[in-house]
Amino acid sequence: MAAITFKYADLKGFGLDADILLKELPRLGIDVDDSTDEDITVDISPNRPDLLDFTGFVRAILNFIGKREPKENAYKINKDPLIEIRTTPAVKEARPFIAGIVAKNVNLTGNNLLYFINFTEKLCDTYGRKRKKFAIGLHNLDVISSPLVYDAARDKEFIPLGMNKKMRFEEIIAKHAKGIEYAYTLKDSKSSKYPYLVDAKNNIMSMIPIINSEFTRVTEQTKNLFVDITGISKTGMDQACRLLACSLIDMGAEVYPCIVSYAAKKETTPILDYKDVKVKITEIQRTLGVPVDQDRMIELANRLGHVAAKYGNSLLVRVAPYRVDVLNEQDVIEDIAIAYGYDRIDPLPVLGAFQGTPDDAVEYANKLGRTMVGLGFTEAMNTYLTNEKVNFENMMRPEDADSTVKVSYSKTENMTMLRTNILHELLQNMSESRSERMPLRLFEIGSVFSVKGGKAIEGRSMAFVSEHSRANFSEIKALTESALKHMRIDSYTVEDAHDSAFIEGRCAAVKVKGRVIGHFGELHPKVLESFGLEEPTVAAELEL
Amino acid sequence: MHEYEIEILKLLKGQKSATPSRLEEQLKLGKDSVVWALENLAKSNAVSITRKSTYGIEISKEGKSYLKQFPEESLVKALGNGSMPLEKIMDKIGLIWAKKNGWIEITGKEAKLLKEGALIADGKKEYATRKLINDLGSAKSDALEKLLLSNKEAVQLLSNRNLIKLKERGEITDVSINKSGLTLLEQETGKGIGQLTREIIKSRKWQTDGLRGYDVNAPTEPEYAARLHPMHEILDKIRNIWISMGFMEVTGPVIESAFWDFDALFVPQDHPAREMQDTYFLSNPKTIDIEDLELLGKMREAHEKGWQNEWRDTISKQALLRTHTTATTMRQLRKFALESSGYEPIKLFSVGKVFRNESIDYKHLAELYQSDGIVIGDGLTLAHLMGILKNYYGALGMDVHMKPAYYPFVEPGLDVYYHDERLGKTIELCGSGIIRKEITNAMGTNKTVLAWGAGAERIGLNLMNVDSLTALYNNNMGWLRNRKEL
Repeated sequence: MAAITFKYADLKGFGLDADILLKELPRLGIDVDDSTDEDITVDISPNRPDLLDFTGFVRAILNFIGKREPKENAYKINKDPLIEIRTTPAVKEARPFIAGIVAKNVNLTGNNLLYFINFTEKLCDTYGRKRKKFAIGLHNLDVISSPLVYDAARDKEFIPLGMNKKMRFEEIIAKHAKGIEYAYTLKDSKSSKYPYLVDAKNNIMSMIPIINSEFTRVTEQTKNLFVDITGISKTGMDQACRLLACSLIDMGAEVYPCIVSYAAKKETTPILDYKDVKVKITEIQRTLGVPVDQDRMIELANRLGHVAAKYGNSLLVRVAPYRVDVLNEQDVIEDIAIAYGYDRIDPLPVLGAFQGTPDDAVEYANKLGRTMVGLGFTEAMNTYLTNEKVNFENMMRPEDADSTVKVSYSKTENMTMLRTNILHELLQNMSESRSERMPLRLFEIGSVFSVKGGKAIEGRSMAFVSEHSRANFSEIKALTESALKHMRIDSYTVEDAHDSAFIEGRCAAVKVKGRVIGHFGELHPKVLESFGLEEPTVAAELEL
Repeated sequence: MHEYEIEILKLLKGQKSATPSRLEEQLKLGKDSVVWALENLAKSNAVSITRKSTYGIEISKEGKSYLKQFPEESLVKALGNGSMPLEKIMDKIGLIWAKKNGWIEITGKEAKLLKEGALIADGKKEYATRKLINDLGSAKSDALEKLLLSNKEAVQLLSNRNLIKLKERGEITDVSINKSGLTLLEQETGKGIGQLTREIIKSRKWQTDGLRGYDVNAPTEPEYAARLHPMHEILDKIRNIWISMGFMEVTGPVIESAFWDFDALFVPQDHPAREMQDTYFLSNPKTIDIEDLELLGKMREAHEKGWQNEWRDTISKQALLRTHTTATTMRQLRKFALESSGYEPIKLFSVGKVFRNESIDYKHLAELYQSDGIVIGDGLTLAHLMGILKNYYGALGMDVHMKPAYYPFVEPGLDVYYHDERLGKTIELCGSGIIRKEITNAMGTNKTVLAWGAGAERIGLNLMNVDSLTALYNNNMGWLRNRKEL
């Protein structure tokens, strides 16, 4: 999601006011973040980058409310290339691809320039993956001379946009805010050289994808634009070209192509071709669940900016070049559903062949949980994520890093691993409840985790703990035996065991068919101290 | 009067005064019981008690999280060197305190940074409130008492902000019986039988001695019922609705491969949601093998065709904590495609934990519960999907609406939302749609699949009538004992 703000004053020029927008935007699937007297902020979902631009946003709304008719072949560019870009072998290793767009007689007055710059920046942030996949630069066409050269060098100098003195590449990377922010985009590059764009008169236009040069600065008065798109993903760049060129055309500009020459081949950019998608009428009806006829479907397709026509039992839908999200007929069907209006679709029931059933393991845990409540234990629900300090150290148990599930990076410093036992979390809960009247009795049933032979294992476990002035071994033994009975485990043995969390000689293991399934006993005073517990505490933890 | 109280009065009658520990010894009772009985006696003015006050302090969860960064500090940092329109400032708490502290001034519709605020923002000055919390947290008994006395107002503010919890405990050091205590004892032991015993019942002594009446208004200590955790009750409520609607419950692992969590849902391999910032990737185990090689191959084809991205198996193998339970329902979809029984539609749901790499506060948790569902069959439409979701939320007493939405794995996609009267805003509840054909084809089925995933927390907040997610997952015994019934 990307948030973008438009001025109501500008929208009014197209007959769009707050009443219309607040009503229609949700129906189109656009969330309104905020609306004030002056402006509206909307959240654009990642599949519709065309809406990040003021022009594209207005285009979509006007189509949707039927005030604009999408025309076939509206997005055409002139034939003659005005700019040639030559690429060098040096840049191939650093950031291989470039594309260019020329737009003449573009109106950037008022807020137009601001909107267009916002558009390019949001595109680079989202689709361009923070300029890594692709980045966009805007230049004043009138000051540059073709052919341009897309090259890479270790160090050069030029005056970056907004500065008043020359800076060297290295200096920009180390000191300039944009250099610091975007240096990472070149981190994986196989070359130690920095990509840059230079014109025929040897004026550096841009250090790519970091910052443009002051000399190609674009202002509200600029009439003619050159746009560079550079990157590592041709698909992404092609989509960016389509989006930018269509917006420029809708802003009233004449768009011209650029020739890009690589070592072995030449390319022309941008390419604005339409995608023809054939959709069966029955398929549309089958998806929506409402009867809609063919004529109505054509009208609905128009509302989402498509040009549709009858084609036997199908619709032939021409998808405009800026709709880069449309992969195939499913996306067109969704558009028709949106145009039809989700609020107008009557919900239908789904009958089933089976009765509903709960999961056996979940039901077992629920039943056991109710038994524990019957024994006077209140249920806790703790996080699976915990840390080594409480899980191991406070419990006086040695850590075995190899068999512990660990996360590689956590924003919360006390969540670094998945718990190997539930007990320590119950003790934390107890320590937060110190002012409460004794006895404190808590239990939890849930997952515990380990790694065996490189594989993660998720086990189920139940822990319960009782704290009060007279808590002792007999109490926890009686409780454990009662729990085992309710778990329908009849044949088990209780043996002396060693677990450093418990007092030596007051800790027992429960064995079922020769395998230890858990321990119970009196917690060691040192453990109690670690968790800040002041009264005797007994506990058990059993595998389920 | 309780038998313990009478026993204590009897003992006190014979001595000038006693300490609680002496009474414990003489009566062979626990400290809790003696203190409880003494408090009762004190309330009915039967004994005189001498106490020594001890102070305690507890830093709340919120207080702990603020120690890293107070909202007012975030605000002044966000202001940089200048000002910001008030409407852009979402965190009103930060705004209020920054203003109270004299860090900013509010002129017209703008918040403007003042010199004092700039010092804080640049880290040139320590925030006094942080220092105080830290000092309070580390001080012990006497030192703490001094600190509390010398910072009375500031401490009160902290307590009002719920950043700390003040505890004053009056420990009983000495106790003696007084006049009305003696009278009470006279009455209690004088006429009629108090506590009924087995012997009295058997010997019918009550017929001769009579049974004394009690003061029915005498206060009693609360009894707490052990209960299930409220979130458990909420999850069961959700499960029961799905079951009553004919859905079968399924479960799956929380440790997943990126393949099942993302690739199988047609999320491009370079999608921002897959970054470390948002997802918990594991360092042990680092990878999980994808056993279904056929599916892996088909998914790879679908991605390469649809997204025209470079695909890497190493990315698919990354081990992570699932970000949605859809990973689980997708596994079930594949299972269905491989071993379909021919009965349709198949209706499945899953309730389980999902993980987000978040900095935790009252709005964000790293672990949440989600409820996911799918319906597999022929002739299923958007109208059916809407029917299911309306029905489900209707059972929870919520009047919901639908609007278009985007998720990479569905087409068409829809969001369920409702208008929350209490909060006065529209809240999204559930993301859903019809699973893309790229996915169902790769899975090996030509059926239509309706799918949805909904957070359980919003339902919980509503049913519990709380606003904070951390409150919902509270495991404090006091809260668990006193929370409202669902």
